[in-house]
Amino acid sequence: MSKHFRLWIALLLLAAVAVGCAAPPVTVTQPLVVTATPAPLPEGAKIVLRVGTGDSGEGLTPHLKIIEMFEAENPDIQVQLEPVGSGDYYARILTQIAAGDPPDLLQIGDDAVPLFVDKGAFVALDQWITSAEYPLDTGIYLPGMLEPGQWNGGQYLLPKDYSPLAVYYNKTLFDAAGVAYPQEDWTWDDFLSAAQALTISDADGKTTQWGVQLPGAWTTGFEYWVAAAGGRLISEDGSTFLGAMDSPEVQEAVQFYADLYNKHKVAPPPADMNAFGGGNSEFDNGVAAMRIFGRWPQAGMKQNPAIDLGIASMPAGKVRANVLFWGGFGISSLSTHPEAAWRFLSYYVGAQGAEVWKDWALPAVASVADEAGLTTDPIEGVWIGELYHLAPRAYVSTPFWGQTADPALHRVLETVILQPDADVAALLSTAAADAQKALDDMNE
Amino acid sequence: MNLERREEVNFYLCISPWLLGFLVFILGPILASFWFSLTRWDLLSPPRFVGMRNYTRMFEDELFWTSLSVTVRYTLMYVPSELIGGLLLALLMNQRGVFGIRGLRTIYYLPSVLSGVAFVVVWMWLFHPEAGLINSTLARVGIDGPRWLTNPQTALTALWIMSLWGLGRTALIFLAGLKQVPPELYEAAAIDGAGTLPAFWNITLPMITPAIFFNLVLSIIATFQTFTSAFVATNGGPLDSTLFFVLYLYRRAFQMFTMGYASALAWVLFVVILALTLLVVRSGRWWVYYEGEAR
Repeated sequence: MSKHFRLWIALLLLAAVAVGCAAPPVTVTQPLVVTATPAPLPEGAKIVLRVGTGDSGEGLTPHLKIIEMFEAENPDIQVQLEPVGSGDYYARILTQIAAGDPPDLLQIGDDAVPLFVDKGAFVALDQWITSAEYPLDTGIYLPGMLEPGQWNGGQYLLPKDYSPLAVYYNKTLFDAAGVAYPQEDWTWDDFLSAAQALTISDADGKTTQWGVQLPGAWTTGFEYWVAAAGGRLISEDGSTFLGAMDSPEVQEAVQFYADLYNKHKVAPPPADMNAFGGGNSEFDNGVAAMRIFGRWPQAGMKQNPAIDLGIASMPAGKVRANVLFWGGFGISSLSTHPEAAWRFLSYYVGAQGAEVWKDWALPAVASVADEAGLTTDPIEGVWIGELYHLAPRAYVSTPFWGQTADPALHRVLETVILQPDADVAALLSTAAADAQKALDDMNE
Repeated sequence: MNLERREEVNFYLCISPWLLGFLVFILGPILASFWFSLTRWDLLSPPRFVGMRNYTRMFEDELFWTSLSVTVRYTLMYVPSELIGGLLLALLMNQRGVFGIRGLRTIYYLPSVLSGVAFVVVWMWLFHPEAGLINSTLARVGIDGPRWLTNPQTALTALWIMSLWGLGRTALIFLAGLKQVPPELYEAAAIDGAGTLPAFWNITLPMITPAIFFNLVLSIIATFQTFTSAFVATNGGPLDSTLFFVLYLYRRAFQMFTMGYASALAWVLFVVILALTLLVVRSGRWWVYYEGEAR
């Protein structure tokens, strides 16, 4: 065989090794994007604050607006927005913290608060909130806005935006089936009978319209069903899953949810198992009458000609319940300008910031929501009303939710959706034991 | 400086950009990852030394074994099919006097050039249970197609079918090998009355063993590093049926932030791949034929 062929092979091998090494972590190695306001001004007298956010694209507009307003009122401070974007946000800011160079202000979600705060990534804000010079009246907020930012009795983060769950419904399909619109005080039984009345099959027994599109094995949203059944996923002190995750209440919640898929067959099977597939689309296509989810896709639904949109509160099980998804800002404990950072933070999460945010998401400040007419709005009013029924989140009780109960619960939900004859009690008892083992391991 | 010396200096000068890059950006992190594999580290607090605990923990970690088994099963499915399929494709592309053969070669190679994620997303549409091309075609002939990517029984097979679309790369190397087989061997065989099949068996196959060897090594390394398709199309599910080793490693590192354990997983993967590669390389002396080498 000729020399050329060997050379070919050597070159290809080299290329392949290089590609092989680079291939798996593609999503991790995108360059850090730093944009927004221009570089520091020549005067040099300004304090430069860096603000890290997981928002991207259109979502940056409210941030930039607030920054612009703040800079106009505070000429001694310049704010630099550092959007990180994508699903690797936490990995990125953890890397920045490990390297000792995180932004002064960081945005994180409620699920990450315990881990970050427990490891000392954020400063307690209580002394600033009550400070004489720059106080913040925490009475301005709607219910449930402060708790997700607390850990061990201190306030570490303040609210940026949020969403509870609600039931979207398509009035056209309700009217066609002659089913009454959901009432505010409806129950699981009402919900089930509506879903059954709205599920339609053709002559071959193939379902042509579904009662409700559910979010599959979405663990963080599933906590609503647990809370509404009167259960909880972790003991109150956050020390154990045993006796909580495997309790009769949680069993009932899982069974009810699984039955919607497999026994009553009112929910379409999950279209995919991940973020890239876009999930189920039955509600958007006008072939599912209801959908349970957060407020995020609402703007698109309002413009969808296949949907005459209505919003209903989450139905009550044993108790009326809902769960909150929450994003907040805090000050990095490595920040060298804590006072300037607090001035910006209190502006951002105060009435001025909320005034901007209300055009993009639900505002956290009660007076802003009232004045904009959101509280009485037939759609937005439902979301805000749900804030009065929030159950505590399991992941506020442990820094290790993501390493312990989340994968265990995910497995349970996947199993009961895919395997109609699954033994719920046995699954949950295994899940609780697995989660507990993982928790003990994390605490080791 | 004599000529030999100067050549040496030139060699190091020419290779220095790569060498520096390797020392600074690759060797450092590789060594650091070994150190981290002996610690517990969540990125937020300083690493804590735990000795071999991360390695012993794997024995009790069900998902470690699941991910290893998924990866090995996939390798056993994919590597043979890639080699046989790639060789068949190369034989087709090696036909002489077929109209438009150059264009066809380009078309077959094209999928290998596409970006991983775009490629997978296209296939997700093809696999869509109701609207997808595959199931709607099956429905036409009266077969009720499975829910490919959300069924634990079919998800790995779906990823396998998906990956076979990239056969063009393997085929190209086989094609290069086929082109190198001296035509006089076939002429001689024809004169001796050998048919197509014996000629293939006794001339083509032995002559292209270096290409087979190369593709085998590469294919094993690549399948053990499978990530993109599982990450994008199934996220390891349903029920961990596509939880590849590297995907599990990624989760441990960048979703659970157990960097020490993830580093230990990376080292185990390295040792497994190294061992398999050495095994194949060692076996090569019995079945790979290099022309001009005395046996």
